Amino acid sequence: MSSVDTQKKKKKAIFLNKNFALLPILVVIFIAGSFINPAFLTVNNLLNNVLTTSAVLGVLVIGEAIILIGGFFDLSLQSIVGFGPMLLAVLVSPKTSELLDGNDGYALPGLVGFLIALAIIVAIGTFNGFMVAKLKLNAFIVTLAMLILIQGFTLGISGGQTYSGLPRYMTYLGDGQILGLPVQAIIFVVLFAAAYVFMKYTVSGRNIYAMGGNLNAAKAAGINVTRVTIGIFMTGAVFAMFSGLMLTGRIASVTANQGDGMIFTVFAASVIGGISLEGGRGNLIGAGIGVILLGVIQNILTLSNVPSFWINAAYGAIILGALLVGWVSSRNRTTTRSNKG
Amino acid sequence: MEQKAKIILKNVTKTFGPTKALDSVTLSVMQGQSMALIGKNGAGKSTLISLLTNLDKPDSGEILVVDEDDNSEINQIGCVYQRSSLTPYLTAAENIAIGNFSKNRLGLINWAKVQTRAEDLLDEWGFAHIAKFQVSDLEPLEKKIVEICRVISTGPRVLILDEPTAGLDITSTELLFERMHSAHRRGVTSIYISHHLQEIFQVCDAVAVLRDGKLVEVNDISAHNIESLVSLMVGPEATKSKTVQQKDRSSHSENQKEILSVNGLTVESKLKSLDLKIFEGECIGVTGLDGSGHTQLLEVITGVTVPTSGNMKLKGATITPGNISESIEHGIGFCPEDRHFNGYVPALSVAENATMPIQKEFRNKFKLINGKARESSYNKLANAWSIKAWGPEQPIEELSGGNQQKVALARAVSSNPHLLVLNNPTSGVDVSAKDSIYKTIGDLLEKKQTVLLASSDISDLEICDRVLVFFDGEIVGEFEKPIQDAVIAAAVQGKS
Repeated sequence: MSSVDTQKKKKKAIFLNKNFALLPILVVIFIAGSFINPAFLTVNNLLNNVLTTSAVLGVLVIGEAIILIGGFFDLSLQSIVGFGPMLLAVLVSPKTSELLDGNDGYALPGLVGFLIALAIIVAIGTFNGFMVAKLKLNAFIVTLAMLILIQGFTLGISGGQTYSGLPRYMTYLGDGQILGLPVQAIIFVVLFAAAYVFMKYTVSGRNIYAMGGNLNAAKAAGINVTRVTIGIFMTGAVFAMFSGLMLTGRIASVTANQGDGMIFTVFAASVIGGISLEGGRGNLIGAGIGVILLGVIQNILTLSNVPSFWINAAYGAIILGALLVGWVSSRNRTTTRSNKG
Repeated sequence: MEQKAKIILKNVTKTFGPTKALDSVTLSVMQGQSMALIGKNGAGKSTLISLLTNLDKPDSGEILVVDEDDNSEINQIGCVYQRSSLTPYLTAAENIAIGNFSKNRLGLINWAKVQTRAEDLLDEWGFAHIAKFQVSDLEPLEKKIVEICRVISTGPRVLILDEPTAGLDITSTELLFERMHSAHRRGVTSIYISHHLQEIFQVCDAVAVLRDGKLVEVNDISAHNIESLVSLMVGPEATKSKTVQQKDRSSHSENQKEILSVNGLTVESKLKSLDLKIFEGECIGVTGLDGSGHTQLLEVITGVTVPTSGNMKLKGATITPGNISESIEHGIGFCPEDRHFNGYVPALSVAENATMPIQKEFRNKFKLINGKARESSYNKLANAWSIKAWGPEQPIEELSGGNQQKVALARAVSSNPHLLVLNNPTSGVDVSAKDSIYKTIGDLLEKKQTVLLASSDISDLEICDRVLVFFDGEIVGEFEKPIQDAVIAAAVQGKS
């Protein structure tokens, strides 16, 4: 009986340890934030600024985190953030002759345009996965080349122009509301919960963990690692496109450089959230908290009137600090483990 | 040749905990001599090497290296290890010079000198031409020569060679021996360690036999043959009955069901047209020296290696070779040789590791994994294998080596296979874990589980009904229970 009790306790301890290692830091930052500016700790700020502005990054982090847990990574996701919406905008925008602002399009119906764009994005992800899993090429160089290629395509199909005057179904994801709540915040929470359940409770999810944790052991256990690898790259690309559509919705236009530089923040949020770059470790709740942490920090920096030219530097310093805190806490965990024997 | 002692060991003793790894060993190796050092696994050879190469200190006794031109800068005894320590994408010359580069007055590397020095060293072995090649492009023998030259370049008085022919084919082995003979004529002193007893008759002039940490024989090689060396290695106690008791299961009757049949299985230069039948409830052991083909057989059966030709049938159904997941689906459970390489996933829990091949069975109607179902399946396995963990959720990386091995074994049986294939099931585990593993395998055998296991550990083979001995890709001996150490130790040496 007592062993069952300790088992439950340990289970609980592990759950807390794995998922909420960042919570103390988050709490400290919340307290600090409420002192710096009383406007920080208000429902309006947290919901409409922090959560909503984090949603685009969050959805992209889901895609990257799944790939990272599988033991790979994908730099090209940030180019899909721009390319996906741009492709859709070009496909559905009216032909030049009918408009004055000069955005040239193919005037396809929305659903047709969306399906074509989605198919192309899925093909890009599949191709990345194929190059890495089947041809055994290095994920860094494959996805770097793909990043350059796709960014080039975005520029090519748009002629460098910003597409604005988008149809309502493309802007709804930006300012829509459900039951009075911003749709971006809802997507953020729902997708993270769904991704967590997928990774924790489905066979495919566990196969991704096994593959990232020890590729050879996964193979020896009969897991088709080629299929799983292609699958995660494909999923990642789709999440990146969705993230891009949310970003486009928010700013009600697509620029030719949309998504540029995002990949760095994506990696920062994932790693701060406990996703191991070596694969097989970390979970989606942790990654979600990592995203919120970055969102909160950015929000506080803005509210506290840090000169805008210094915000990036402050942001970088805080990411480094968070990594160090994570390192200290993981080191403490390993020492207690070895003490236990 | 004048007989001057090069190494003198006096009453060297080394203990690890309760075991005496070396017990008062006294031995002299002469200048220009090639001394074979043999013994079973655990007899104390590796301990002796680590003492000779200064990696460890003896508890008592002394080791002297006799030195005329006193030059204490150099390592006096150098060892060429079985595992390669070369850097693949550098040239042979650079590998030889690494850590010891010739430099010019500016402190920059003098590449011309590095090159000529390597060529000189390699030339003594007849391989001067490979100095500028990248190591990854070299043949196995050439790599071995580069390793030898690297050790020699630091100027040792004595060269230890640990299983130098591992991974070499017959022609390369012969060539290596020829070059070693001329090295001995140049006055190189060496200690040669090998499980292949035939080889030591070709290269060595003296032999030392270790058994349970004691030196039981030192003599000229001409005083011995393979049989006499085997009996020295095994010792008189080997014929005693073993401690792990197995209930006598009915031996195969006429109408026994055939589980696995293998026909004409061939793997290029590893397995030669092998035929094999395994019946229900049998425990078959396969053994041999490294590279004799027994582990390759397991790899083919489990889908790790694709055979050149031949076919396999499991319960009458043909298995497509080279497909691990299909092999598992057909009913082959597999515990790999090296658990760290592919036996478990460190970051995951014991339950998940043990049940990895059967996760699909735990899905509920929403296609989600039911943790309770997995737990109860794990608990059965944990009971059967006496896995010591505080619960199903404990990360496997926190377990001891023995318990990790049990989880890897549990993973192999989780799918209730028709055939359980175990590669070195007790490698790197302590005695109590070993006994526990034997007990569980015994329980499985009683439930008519069919087992195929590969091992070079005699206590693993003792639990088998039949043991097949491999040599050079062929079965050269088949032995029924009771399995005797001396018989197996002689058989693995081949047809001599």
